[in-house]
Amino acid sequence: MKETGKPTANPMLVLREEFDDWAILFDPDTGDAHALNPISVFVWKRLDGHHSVDDIMSELVKSCDDVPENAQTEVIKFIDELLEQGYAGYEI
Amino acid sequence: MAWNVKQDESLKKEIPTLNQIYFYLTEGCNLACRHCWLAPKLQKKKHQYPVLDFDLFRSIVEQGKKLGMTGVKLTGGEPLMHPDIEQLLKYLIDQDVSVTIETNGVLCTPEVAMLVAKNKNVFVSVSLDGTDSRIHESIRGVKGCFEEAIQGIRNLVNAGIAPQIIMTLMRRNKHQIEAMVRLGERLGAHSVKFNMVQPTERGKKMHELDETPSVKELIEIGKWVEETLAGDTQLKLYYDSPAAFRPLSRLYGQEGTGCNVCGILGILGVLADGSYSLCGIGSAVSELVFGHASRDRLDKVWKETKILEEIREGMPKKLTGVCASCLMVGSCFASCLAQNYYRTRNIWAPFWFCDLAFQEGIFPQTRLYKKQQILA
Ligand code: SF4
Ligand code: SF4
Repeated sequence: MKETGKPTANPMLVLREEFDDWAILFDPDTGDAHALNPISVFVWKRLDGHHSVDDIMSELVKSCDDVPENAQTEVIKFIDELLEQGYAGYEI
Repeated sequence: MAWNVKQDESLKKEIPTLNQIYFYLTEGCNLACRHCWLAPKLQKKKHQYPVLDFDLFRSIVEQGKKLGMTGVKLTGGEPLMHPDIEQLLKYLIDQDVSVTIETNGVLCTPEVAMLVAKNKNVFVSVSLDGTDSRIHESIRGVKGCFEEAIQGIRNLVNAGIAPQIIMTLMRRNKHQIEAMVRLGERLGAHSVKFNMVQPTERGKKMHELDETPSVKELIEIGKWVEETLAGDTQLKLYYDSPAAFRPLSRLYGQEGTGCNVCGILGILGVLADGSYSLCGIGSAVSELVFGHASRDRLDKVWKETKILEEIREGMPKKLTGVCASCLMVGSCFASCLAQNYYRTRNIWAPFWFCDLAFQEGIFPQTRLYKKQQILA
């Protein structure tokens, strides 16, 4: 992905958050479902077309005490997966 | 970061690899457990019920390896009662397959434990349903079997194998859950797994007699085990409820214990009489027996058995009831197809536990495509 890009989450998908801060993200048309860990949920909620990876990372660092060293790589990987599956995109 | 909980569509296009064979080595058992899902015959000294012929066992393993099989499970009845168990364990040492053994521990002598330990990739579970002889033996039906099972665990630990303890939850032992974890710690167990009584064969009777905790109670116990008790022990704790009832962090997180997925796409059962079966259920439901190892080649059975083809083709889209509406279906496959068939004679029926929870309105709403009021 372009690190300067500001992706948007596909609005057709549903995110269901659970008590342990994990969530299920699913496509109600196909039933395709994914379990998201708390960092992925944090990222997903910021895919609003106004946040770049850098923006998301700086918010993440501010909100969490223990951000793993490889967080940025993981975040980029996660967003790439979403883009690949059509779960997120760029507004034209 | 994200874990796909849906089955990969491409899986269904090919015949899957036969990963593991479950060998139900003996038709008899040395215990008479109230909850056994297969109801083997109690074997006292005078009786000798069928056991799997060793040459047949060897031939099936050889054929299985050619199909890609990487593991065998030895179960029963009671696998350690097999008259050729030592020969069988020795044979497996050189086979380069993982070996899982499900035993009640009673016959796990130091010699047998040493032989088991010679297998490089081995996993042993020992059933223990109480932390004292009174409870354990009232469930398992044979006097003296508690101390023998404990000794069996000790023998395994001394041989270098930390076994998993499996406790099946019922009204009469549910107060001993934490005590079981502590006992496991003291004995040097690897983990403790809590199973539910399945409503097949003798277990069905227990359900009818209301000797098992209700679904609601089991859900509550599960929450306590996974959210509290698991954080208070070094042992891994497994709670055998279907995926929809388990926290995602416990399924997929770093300390997670994974899903209890029905492995039917990669598993075949062999009964003590040498017949091939859908896991072990063929012993209770004859239509789920599909051939005999003495006359049918394994590759033909694996590739051409109609019911297996139907399962590959239909899983998971043909599942019905709550399983058809469940977001976890791809990582659960309706929990246990054999169990579902036994209960309803429909291979695509939902799992009893989820079905009941759904009917009672206590199925987790976040795990359904559509919330329950829309479905109902
Ligand atoms: S409803 Fe079916 S698929 Fe979902 S967790 Fe229960 S058994 Fe598994
Ligand atoms: S049918 Fe039941 S016993 Fe067989 S693999 Fe599935 S869960 Fe296991």
